[in-house]
Amino acid sequence: MIVPLEHILVLAGLLFFLGMAGLLTWRANMIMMLVCIEVMLNAVMLVAVGGSARWGNADGQLFAIFIMALTSSEVSLALAMVVYLHRRKRTVDTDLFSELKG
Amino acid sequence: MTAEQLLAIMPLLILAGGSVLLLLTGAVRPGGYLYGIAAACAAAALIWSIAMPADAVMPGLAITSFSRFFSVFLYGTGLVALLLAWEYNCRRGITGEEFPATLLFALTGMGAACAANNLVMLFIGLESFTFAFYIMVAIERRSEHGGEAGLKYLLNGTLSAALLSMGIALIYCSRGTLRLAELVAMQVIDPLFIAGSCLVLLGLAFKLSLVPAHLWTPDVYQGAPAPVTALLSTASKAASLAALLLFIPLVESWRGIHDIFWMLALLSFVSGNLAALLQRSIKRMLAWSSIAQMGYVALSLVAAPSGGRPAAVFYAVMYAAAGLATFGAVSLLSGDHDRDELEQYRGLGYRNPAAGAALAVALFSLAGIPPTAGFMAKFAIFAAALRSGETSLAIMAILTALVAVFFYLRVVVTLYMKSPEGQPDHAPPLSVAGMTALAIPTLTTLFLGIYPQPLLELLKRILP
Repeated sequence: MIVPLEHILVLAGLLFFLGMAGLLTWRANMIMMLVCIEVMLNAVMLVAVGGSARWGNADGQLFAIFIMALTSSEVSLALAMVVYLHRRKRTVDTDLFSELKG
Repeated sequence: MTAEQLLAIMPLLILAGGSVLLLLTGAVRPGGYLYGIAAACAAAALIWSIAMPADAVMPGLAITSFSRFFSVFLYGTGLVALLLAWEYNCRRGITGEEFPATLLFALTGMGAACAANNLVMLFIGLESFTFAFYIMVAIERRSEHGGEAGLKYLLNGTLSAALLSMGIALIYCSRGTLRLAELVAMQVIDPLFIAGSCLVLLGLAFKLSLVPAHLWTPDVYQGAPAPVTALLSTASKAASLAALLLFIPLVESWRGIHDIFWMLALLSFVSGNLAALLQRSIKRMLAWSSIAQMGYVALSLVAAPSGGRPAAVFYAVMYAAAGLATFGAVSLLSGDHDRDELEQYRGLGYRNPAAGAALAVALFSLAGIPPTAGFMAKFAIFAAALRSGETSLAIMAILTALVAVFFYLRVVVTLYMKSPEGQPDHAPPLSVAGMTALAIPTLTTLFLGIYPQPLLELLKRILP
């Protein structure tokens, strides 16, 4: 393996935490939150494919393909939710959806 | 694939096929009868799982006595939720074939999750039923809060999916396999594996709404339609518990796992019970109480070496029966708006005796008062905890359970107080489907409270 596993893990870790930080702080725009989740899942795919290269079997690549299928269905669902919420309040700011409290 | 394997996974095929069939027939001829078809599919899968005790192993899925027990349990829960939703959705104008089809799809995902024999299948099963819940939580378009609840569940759920999948990828990096049996055999501990396991446990804690991953629970339970909440609080948690029980053997030799469950249990039952004390809304109160109840399940997993696992599953069965009955009573007693404030329940025990009695029995069970299943379940858990030497944690659990009795009984007392004069009350009459859906969990609660031995013996046999 040309690229050592540690390098992949560091890069994926950085991407994962960038995505998570974005998800937790960028509350003003739901689309950006979805982008952040995609970044996190891309980091996961990177780790899975890196593991596949380390062990020389295809399980990790298979897992990465399943994650792709998962993210595409998730985005379609989430965008439907964005359209629905935008129709109700004319905004995608998630902080404004805060009627349920207690 | 051999014929035996095909027969063994037939329940999953029935549910998946039924879901597609509903979408197709619903497009041609919409109507309430689709709920009947969905209920028939769920019942067929349930009966098949009981009647065909065939073990089979195939890539990704292993049908064992463990998975069959959970299948029967989950399909039964789904069937009751379908009966509850039938009447509720017709009344509330949630028409269309999407709801029953999505519910069947959720049951397929749960069945797959508890029969998984590798981590990819476990992940796919967990995520596919969570997807179905994203849809069902937000399905009531007229409701003021459905969209907000759906948004909160979606964002939290996707975060937990990312954590879970990252955990699985790290475990794969460290071990080179995703098969559960091979992973259990390699009990070597290295930092990468521990990091992965912690992320998987955090992801599962989201689904079980254990503190500190619980914040979505009250909002989603309050905003979702009541029958969906009934399913979300019972079947979704039971399937996640099955996934957790499949995962725990991987990390058994690591000492830190004990401390993680110890903290999760303590935080969950303390904060859940204390927050539930402050709620005026029934659904929020039940949401916090479900967090506390899951804390007791985590307590029994702390005590796993001395018979905690059968106690955990027994507790999950008890909680499923009580959750279905409480949220079921809320959904059957609601008219155009969900009956949510405690005051609205004043005197309902006289005006609507059947639903009132079911609600009262379920609340007694949640509070842990004999002769209901809740008492036996709490007894089994505290006994297991004391046997494994977790005295301080068990004492904390018993004390918080005593606090919890107050807010459960407050609802029962309100139910049987005099109704206020001159206020018309629009509790709709109960239909046959609604009566059945309330009777099944209530009878289960009473039966398990009086005669828990067969189930406990069965659980001891199927759980190592």
